[in-house]
Parts: sequence; structure tokens; C-alpha cells
Amino acid sequence: MRSKLFLLLKSPREFSGLEDIAAIAGDADRAAVLLNDAVLFAAQENKLEGLLQVCTEVFVMKDDLQARGVDPCSGAVEIDYHRLVDLIMDEYDQTVTL
Amino acid sequence: MSTMLIQIRSGTMMNMDTNVLVKLSQAALDRGHAVKVFAYGEGITALKDGQEPKRFPNVGEILQGQISQGLTLVACETCCHARGIKRGEEFEGSKIGSMTNDLSVFVSECDRMVTLAR
Repeated sequence: MRSKLFLLLKSPREFSGLEDIAAIAGDADRAAVLLNDAVLFAAQENKLEGLLQVCTEVFVMKDDLQARGVDPCSGAVEIDYHRLVDLIMDEYDQTVTL
Repeated sequence: MSTMLIQIRSGTMMNMDTNVLVKLSQAALDRGHAVKVFAYGEGITALKDGQEPKRFPNVGEILQGQISQGLTLVACETCCHARGIKRGEEFEGSKIGSMTNDLSVFVSECDRMVTLAR
């Protein structure tokens, strides 16, 4: 199975399809990257826990956290855009935007 | 050199997706990757010449700077026509192209594809 990197752009209020991640990924390795309002997943423990149940790793964009003045809960890994490029180009086989 | 293809389907004034576009494309260029952007749907507003946002980043201006660094920017012709944007209204270095002649080639030649859409 090709590994998958899920790019989440919507806030937890707008996106509630965590089961879609599990369904699309199947048995493949998968991680999530939180961008824009999706960084709010990382700011709420229960939301982050839900995401970590369907993804082995959760990355969160530092720029977008700072723009919203929120801190991530333990378990989310802060990244910048250069790290995101490495994840997309070198570490995962496909990206899926939800 | 690997190639990243980004399909942008959100408009410049719709949300922050075009900001993600220009930050991601710049980081990919910095890493030495080739970057191709195909604008579809509302995303075609990215290559409209003369953008002057008052309180938001000027996505058109940023993309023009990235074109000078090697980025390729093409928009869907049908999407442009539907929104009244005619050939010649795109800024220099960008192109109004098509899914058939451009996107299909980009997809077949890229190493990774990223879609930015709602």
C-alpha cells in the first residue's frame, strides 16, 4: 500500500470526517498535516486524540498556530513549510486533501 | 530534480488556501524542486493581472516573483471563460491553458501532486 499524507485545511467545526481518513488509508502508513483552521484540531485534546486514533503522526503548521495565537497539545509535531515539502516529496507516496 | 504539481481550486479572496499555495511553492523552490501550479475553478483568480488586495497578501505579485524563480503557472481556459477572464488578462509569465493540453501532461510528469481545495 502506498503511504498517504492527509492535508487538513478545515477547522474541527467544518470537518468531521475522520472515518474517511481510515477508509481511504486502509492498511497504508498515514499521517495528517494540519493547515489553516485545521490547526485547531491540535489545540483541543479530544480533537487531537481523535485524529491520532486514525493517523500514526499529526504534524501542525507553526505559521498557522502563531497566526491564530494557539498552542498545540502534546502529541502534535510543529513543522514549517520546508519540512512539509520534505514530507510530501520524500517521506510519503501520496497526498490527500480533506 | 523532482517535480511538485499543485492544483489550486480556491480563489485568492475566498480563504487562506492561496497563502498555503505560495508558501508551499516557495519552500519547494527553495528545496530545489520544480513546481507547476494548475489553477482550476475559482483558483484561476490567482493569475489575474492587477490584483490589489488592501489587507491580504498579494498572491499574484508573489506568484510573479516565483515565476521568475522557475515556477510554471497555468489556468483552466474553460474556468476563465466562465468567469469572464479573457486571454491577455493574465499577468506576464503565466498562461491560460487547458486540462487537456496542460494538466494532463503535468500529472503524467510530476512526482507528487497536491490539491488545495474546499
